[in-house]
Amino acid sequence: MTIQVADRTPVNRFIDPKVLLKIQNLELVARHVVEGFVQGLHRSPYTGFSVDFASYRLYMPGDEIRRIDWNVFARSDRLYIKLYEGDTNTRVLVMLDISGSMNYGSSEIKKIDYARILAACLTYFAHHQRDGVGLLTFDTQIRAHVPSSRRRGQLLTILSEIDRIQPSEQTEFRKPLRFLAEYLTRRGLIVLISDLFDEPDNIIAGLKALKAKGNDIIVFHIMDPYELTFPFEEAAQFEDMETRKKLHVIPEYLREQYMTIVKDHMERIRKELAGTRIDYCLMDTSKPLDQGLFTYLAARSKSV
Amino acid sequence: MSFLNPFLLFGAFALAIPVLIHLVRREKSEIIPFSSLMFLLKVPKRAIRQQKIKNLLLMALRLLILALLVGAFARPYLTQPSTPAANANSNRGVVLMLDTSYSMRYANNFDKMKAEAQQRIDSLGAGDRMALVEFNESASLLNRPTSDKGALRAALNNLKPSYAATRFYEAFSLAERVLGEFSGDQKELVVISDFQRNGWNRSSRESVIGSDVKTETVNLAVKEWSNVGIDSALLDQTSFNRTYTGRMVVRIRNYSKDKPIVVPVSVSLNDKAAGRKDVTVSANSTEVAEFTGFDLPLGFSKGHIRIETGDPLPIDNEFLFSIERREKMSVLVIDAGKPKQSLYLRQAYMSTAELPFNVTTMTASAVSPEEMAKHEVVIINDVPRLTDAVRNKLDELRKTGQGQLVILGGNSEVGWWAGYAKLPVKPIQRIFVPKDRGRPSVSITTYDQNHGIFKPFRTSTRVALNSAQFWEYVNVEARPGATVLAKADDGSPLIVESSPEDHGLIVFTSTVDSRWNDMPLKPSFLPLFHEVVHYLTRYNESRAWYALGEGVPITAGLQSGAAAVIDPDNERQPLGDLTAGQTKFFTPVKPGFHEIRVGPDTRMVAVNPPAAEGNLDSMPPEDLLASVKRTGETGPGAGWGTDEQTEYARRQTGWWYLLLFALLACMAEIYIANRTYKTT
Repeated sequence: MTIQVADRTPVNRFIDPKVLLKIQNLELVARHVVEGFVQGLHRSPYTGFSVDFASYRLYMPGDEIRRIDWNVFARSDRLYIKLYEGDTNTRVLVMLDISGSMNYGSSEIKKIDYARILAACLTYFAHHQRDGVGLLTFDTQIRAHVPSSRRRGQLLTILSEIDRIQPSEQTEFRKPLRFLAEYLTRRGLIVLISDLFDEPDNIIAGLKALKAKGNDIIVFHIMDPYELTFPFEEAAQFEDMETRKKLHVIPEYLREQYMTIVKDHMERIRKELAGTRIDYCLMDTSKPLDQGLFTYLAARSKSV
Repeated sequence: MSFLNPFLLFGAFALAIPVLIHLVRREKSEIIPFSSLMFLLKVPKRAIRQQKIKNLLLMALRLLILALLVGAFARPYLTQPSTPAANANSNRGVVLMLDTSYSMRYANNFDKMKAEAQQRIDSLGAGDRMALVEFNESASLLNRPTSDKGALRAALNNLKPSYAATRFYEAFSLAERVLGEFSGDQKELVVISDFQRNGWNRSSRESVIGSDVKTETVNLAVKEWSNVGIDSALLDQTSFNRTYTGRMVVRIRNYSKDKPIVVPVSVSLNDKAAGRKDVTVSANSTEVAEFTGFDLPLGFSKGHIRIETGDPLPIDNEFLFSIERREKMSVLVIDAGKPKQSLYLRQAYMSTAELPFNVTTMTASAVSPEEMAKHEVVIINDVPRLTDAVRNKLDELRKTGQGQLVILGGNSEVGWWAGYAKLPVKPIQRIFVPKDRGRPSVSITTYDQNHGIFKPFRTSTRVALNSAQFWEYVNVEARPGATVLAKADDGSPLIVESSPEDHGLIVFTSTVDSRWNDMPLKPSFLPLFHEVVHYLTRYNESRAWYALGEGVPITAGLQSGAAAVIDPDNERQPLGDLTAGQTKFFTPVKPGFHEIRVGPDTRMVAVNPPAAEGNLDSMPPEDLLASVKRTGETGPGAGWGTDEQTEYARRQTGWWYLLLFALLACMAEIYIANRTYKTT
């Protein structure tokens, strides 16, 4: 399916109403409770400054004195801390791979276009859920970072940033993921949109580090149909869009082996991610974007 | 294997086309941007190689199809019999080419040659066959192909070095014919020779040997050789004087490349010393020694020229010649007794003492038949008529070989001479060339150049018959059978010869005293009348020596008789009967003095080995073999029967099999290509 872009404004360009209609009928539910303050669909595992009372607990040295319920102290002569429980929003960070390989497209839609649309959809969707939304673009290093926020202009800021993306460099997961692991102090939902053209060890190691800090991670693996099936016929020189290296290839010699290697690559990543409870979704750019989202979110809703 | 249309093999270049297309397309292949090569680079090389092999098989099949088609159109044929029975025959058929030219007499070359040949005879296997070809100037087969080593050894033992020159062409031609008899055998040709460069005449026809013949050469050439020999001798074979007054020029050749030599040269005649000189001959050059003034006995003398050098090839250090001293030819001139009538004739024959003529002059009234019989040639110079006795005697003497010349002139009675029936012409009248017709004379413009009396005019441009002017002549009519030898420019016969049945009479229809013409004052007079007498006496100059291999003419004289040659070993070789004037040629095979007998006549001929053979300069055997054309077959048609021709035709059916294989390859290519594309 070809995604038609109706309007050139940043919002309308990426968010196809038909796509959003399908997504809004589903509930985007985090697998785990992410801390947050705003009422939404996400349950926060933490008590905080919410209006709903949860319970009391004994004062422990180090607790803030202002949180002591003096009425209870007056009645029982014991120091209790009053805890509140309420629905919180989560922080959603969209990590978008803008390496040179993402600029590849066998049809009208390049992988980067597809990824832009996907990122915009998710951003819009999360913003609608009153979640804090952020964006991080990277190739070999971080190119742009919009920290997560729930403020009003955040969506436009992110969409504008997505619109400015120009893929150029190679992919390098190690550096950006290490940066995120150090930078993110609060847990949230991280959405990685990439073609994952790096060594699986680098990808998995970085994601595991993020997962270990309590983040919920969704990986959208963007692949062009030609990358999956390698349907070339004539012998030609294939030029690496990242390194500009050239390789003389007789497709009929290599097709079978190539497909096996790609399949192994994806399978390994899928298995490793599944093992660490990281969601993985393969997005074929020839397939409709909404169908991919729908499939993913349906699977997610079942798991919650 | 060879090809009938070998030029079609150029079609094999078509094989390069698929490869070139592949290379060109590879160089100019399209550049496709691709997201990342990381997966392509991980493809194991082995897998790529297997794929390549699969496709290489296809490409090889396609190339094979092309090659088979090209091969089929080139019409291959087997040079060896293709039948299993024939191929199963691994016997060898060997032809030994043995050089017996006289250069093989150098040192012990001939013994070495026999030893090499012996060795090859000994190495013959049980089923092997061998033929020996001896060659020098000609080639001969010593024995038919045989496996009998005893017969081969016997033939080899009887082999002797010849005195003839080397010629490879004849030898290769004979060897090629003999090799044609080794049908089914592995053919081998072994050349044992000193490979003299002189033996290969590049201008002769190309020698041919089949391409299936394995060749081997045994080079017996001596690297550091030296030889001095007598190249030739130039002398007059006939002398009419007791003392040889001509020049005998002996040419001595030093073949050495760098050493000059002083050679003592001696001449002997009938084993009696006739002269001796020392000659210094520079390296690789020729020097001459001149001898003259030695005495000659009557008849033939055997002459020897010797040089003393002591080189390893003594055969060319001696040179033979024969020389004959003859009495002068006796000529009787009969005239009318007019003053100065025979002056020019006498001067022509008697001007110098060296001339071989002895002239007697008599008047017609004084001559007697007995007197005429004493002379070899009778010239009747413008007499009115002859007595009947003289006339009859003339007719009689002609039958015994006497030559007669009749000169008609102003004194001749036309009526009487017209009545002389045996005269080859019938005189009609005296002709005065009219002076009012622009040109007051005629000249000899037409004559039979092949006739003996005009021999000097064939070779010389300085003496021309037409320079003489004739103002008067006797108009004659040639009788039947007579031959007009020369005509005036108005068509009148001037010289007429009698018929072959009455051979020996020539008529000249003008005078020789400068009254009717100016011929006696012209340079052509002497040679013409000398040759007339030579012709009428049937005098034939022969050569003082012949080279071995040259044909020696043997001519019968006045009388028929049996001819024979007595060779230097005193062996008589009959040549059959020769009629008077008939010539046969005899080719001597041995150097030395040959005595040639024709009836009662005997003459001596000296024969020398060919001088060129003394030059021992050799050529590389490879050059010789490279000059020999290799063909697909040996001895086609040389004794082949129908079976062989059928076999020969069957060997050419290879193209059919090639086409069949091409078809099979096509089918295999289709099958493999389909499978390959289905899997990919």
